[in-house]
Formats: sequence, structure tokens, C-alpha cells
Amino acid sequence: MKTVLELRRVTRYFAGLVAVDDVSFTLAEGEILGLIGPNGAGKTTLINLISGTLAPSEGAVLFDGHDITALPAYRRARLGIGRTFQIMRPFPGLSVLDNVAIGALFGHGGGQAQLARAREQARASLEFVGLGRFCEQRAEELGGPGRKRLELAKALAMQPRLLLCDEVMAGLNHVEIEAVIDVIRRVRERGVSVLVIEHVIKAIRSLSDRLLVLHHGVKIADGAPQAVLDDPAVVQAYLGRKRA
Amino acid sequence: MKAWQGAVAAIVLLLLAGVPWYGSAVLVQFGINALLLAVLAQGWNIIGGFTGYASFGNSVFYGLGSYGVAIAMVQWHLPFAAGLAFGAALAVVFALLLGVPVLRLRGHYFAIATLALAGVMAAIVSNIPLAGQNIGLVLPPLNDDRLFYGLALGLLVISTLVVYWLTRSRFGFGLIAIRENEDGAAVMGVNTTLYKVLAFTLSGVLSALAGGIHAYWITFLDPESAFDISLNIKMIIMAVFGGAGTVLGPIIGALSLSAISELLSSQVTSVATLFFGLVVIAAVVLMPHGLMDLAQRVRTRSLRWNYLGENVRANRL
Repeated sequence: MKTVLELRRVTRYFAGLVAVDDVSFTLAEGEILGLIGPNGAGKTTLINLISGTLAPSEGAVLFDGHDITALPAYRRARLGIGRTFQIMRPFPGLSVLDNVAIGALFGHGGGQAQLARAREQARASLEFVGLGRFCEQRAEELGGPGRKRLELAKALAMQPRLLLCDEVMAGLNHVEIEAVIDVIRRVRERGVSVLVIEHVIKAIRSLSDRLLVLHHGVKIADGAPQAVLDDPAVVQAYLGRKRA
Repeated sequence: MKAWQGAVAAIVLLLLAGVPWYGSAVLVQFGINALLLAVLAQGWNIIGGFTGYASFGNSVFYGLGSYGVAIAMVQWHLPFAAGLAFGAALAVVFALLLGVPVLRLRGHYFAIATLALAGVMAAIVSNIPLAGQNIGLVLPPLNDDRLFYGLALGLLVISTLVVYWLTRSRFGFGLIAIRENEDGAAVMGVNTTLYKVLAFTLSGVLSALAGGIHAYWITFLDPESAFDISLNIKMIIMAVFGGAGTVLGPIIGALSLSAISELLSSQVTSVATLFFGLVVIAAVVLMPHGLMDLAQRVRTRSLRWNYLGENVRANRL
């Protein structure tokens, strides 16, 4: 399968602290890669490095075989990298529909120049994630689960080829988690590659084709979900040395 | 825009346009001032209201526009229109040169950086012989208030159309996205640096044109009055009072506050400034989203009896 994203020996320091340490991996077209690890493992930093919110201290990020390490975030978005934020960042003063329309107006390929068409596209994204009824509400009026879906709809309206999901299931109940998993699966069916950060192990095991584990910024495992979860090094990272 | 809104706008515009024919000379002069202030508030609205960057540098653009007209007409004997174009060009150059470094700063830091610009410009201009140093320049007088009124009104219409376009264009949505959440805007594909600089430039050109018209009308300018920071504060207050980030808010704010200020200074001369300050503080505390928000709530029937009290609580005052 074609490789969409490749990280080559990516390292990021924050004033002496190594947040991401020499991480390399690839992501294929249409693949769902789960990224797990204890708190502070560097998962969100890794997503920031891919989306361009942060620049790596060392190493290279390749998208479609092109080196995008030096590109600013907006250029990467136009190439087709969409992301959600763990700390949800709706545009609070705008309606739910217009929040998503911004993704359609800019997004992949430079976006849609016509506001009316962008709004149509936005409506489709909102229907897709199940928020169709809330188009006219103000974004700040949505509750937690609604905002998680709004983040997804905003990223999807960009028509991305690579979707980065930063804890889109945190704080959701079982039913809501199932719904989000379903959305991500349907996104993948369109040929989109997905990188998912998640703490809900049960959910990520069933969703991911492959799991990657970070611990103190270092990649300690990468492979089939069950094999990775059974790996002693991974168990130790999560539960400590003495297993109960 | 609905049909009735268009009709109301047309009627108001006709009433305003007719002032030089049915109004007194004093009213026309008041009108020129108020309309130019409305242009300034509308210009500030682009960078402050839509993009979310509280600029204290807009009075610099105003000064550049004034000097552009004055230098072109006095020193080079060019027509007024050429002066306006020269002033606007100065504003564009200034916005591009200073916008790039200054717009990297966010929030209060941006405000503070721009706050210093007016003082710096006044000091620089005071030392340029072409600009008449600290004595200033005297322009050829033109006693035609109808013309100046028409120019001011025309410029206000253009500014308002520009702002209206912002509410329905990709560019405007990009600016709003920057205001609401700049990092979020960038990862969605908004070229934030370019958009901020363009917004600053657009805002600057409108301010410069207002400055140019004002200079020719007053026929005299010196560095202190051209680069006056209190003018910048006025435009911010007017835009915020009416409703920053809306199409009509800054106009309503500018016209109503100009009227209040005028009435106060003619009735209670000695305490007018103090009273004006109190009016502004009360307005900002009680309705921080401006008159337009109030009007919107009345229309959608979501205005609650303790709206003013809620705002006080929401601001933790």
C-alpha cells in the first residue's frame, strides 16, 4: 500500500526536555493507526509536529513522499492534513455551520471560494458526524460530546487525506464512543488515513489496524493491536514494574 | 440582506445625503466630523473587530493620510485626488513594513507595540523639512463644506461595503477565524500572517483616506494633531460601543457618541469630558458587546430583564 505519511527520526526538545525522541514510523493510505501511551508520553506533541503547529528540532516529516518539515501549518492543511484538538477549539462566536464552513473555505487544495458552496459542504460534514440538527446554534452552546463531533466535522470539511484525531473520545459514554468509531471507520472507507490518539484502550483496539506506543517520547512498540498490548514493555509502561 | 433592510438603508442614506441641503452650516460641520469618525471606527473594525487585533496604530494611518495630502498639495502642487492616493500609498507601505513584525505579537503585546507607533511617527515627522517639521503645513483653503460632507459620506459608504463584504467572503471568514482562535485557523488552512497584514493594510487605507479629507477640510496640520493617540482611542470606543465585528455597529457608535459628546460640550462645558468618560465606562461595563448585540437580542426576543446585570457578573466586576 502507498505510504501517505512518514516520520524520519523526529525529535522535539522543549528547553532541554525531550518530548518526542527519535520517532520514526509510516502510515499507509486508508490505514487507521492508533497512538497510545501514558500521560505526558508526547502524543499530542507528535500530532503538533505533523500538523505543523510545532516544528521538529531534528528529523523530517514526509507527506506523499515530499518533505514538509519546513512548511507552515496552513500549507500542510492545504496539502490535506486535517486535525482535531484535544482541548476543543471551536470558534465560539460563530454558528456551528460557519465553524465547519471555515474548514471547507480553506482546507485541502486551498478550499472552496464560494461561501454558499462551502456552507453546503459544511452541512454535509455535520450530517456525516450526526450534528445536522445543530447547524444554526452557536458553537459555544454545544455540550462536550457535541463539541468533540464539531471538531471532527471541522477537520472533515477540509476534505483531508490524512486525519489526525487527538482524543476525540475522551469523556464520552459508550454509545457516543461507538458513534465516533463508526464515523472514523466511514472516513477511512473514503481512503483517508487516520492517526488516532486515545486513552480508551478497548475502543482503540477494535478501531486500529496498527498500534504505536510512546513512552517518555520514545517509540516502544509498533505493530498489530493485540500483539502490542501483550508486549511486556507496553504493560510495564502503563502499569509499572510490579504487575498485580 | 432582506428587502426591507435594503429599503431602510437606502432611506437613511438619502436622509444623510440631504443634510447639506436642509441642515444648518453647524450641522454640516458636525456631520463631516462625525462621518469621518465613523469611517475611522469602521476601519478599526476590520483589524480590531473582525481580526481581533486591538490596534492603537490606526491614528498613524490617519496621520500619514493627512500628510500625504498636505505634502502633495503644498510642496508638489498636485491636485487633492493625487494627494489622497499618495496618502493611501504611504499607509500601504507602512502597514506592510510594520505589519509583518508587529502582527506577530498577540493580544496585549500587539496593543502596546502599536501604542508606541503614533509617538514615534510624530517625532519623525517633526524632523522632516518636506513635512514642515514641527511647525506643520498650511493647505490651500477650499470653502465648500458640501463637497467635504459628500466625500466623507461617500467614504463611509465604501468602508461599510468593504465590511459587509467581509461578512460574506472567504477573506472575512479567515479574519473571523483568526479572531476566534488563531492556531485553530492556521491548521484549517488560513494563511494567518498574510490575512492579518492584509486586514491591517485595508484598515490603514480607510483611515488614511479619512485623514486626507480631514486635512484638506481643516487646511492646517501639525505632527501633534495628525498623530494623536486620543483619536485612536475615540475610534475604538465608538466601534466597541456600537458593536465591534458587526457591519453597522461602528457607524451607530460613532454617530451616537459624536452627538452625545457635542450636546454635552455645548450644555455643560466644564464637566463634559468627565461625563463623556462616565458614559463610555458605563456602556462598556453594562453592554460590552455593544448596541448591535442589544438590538439583536431585542429582535430575537432573547433580551432578558437582567441583561445589564448579567454582563456585570460575566465580567467579574
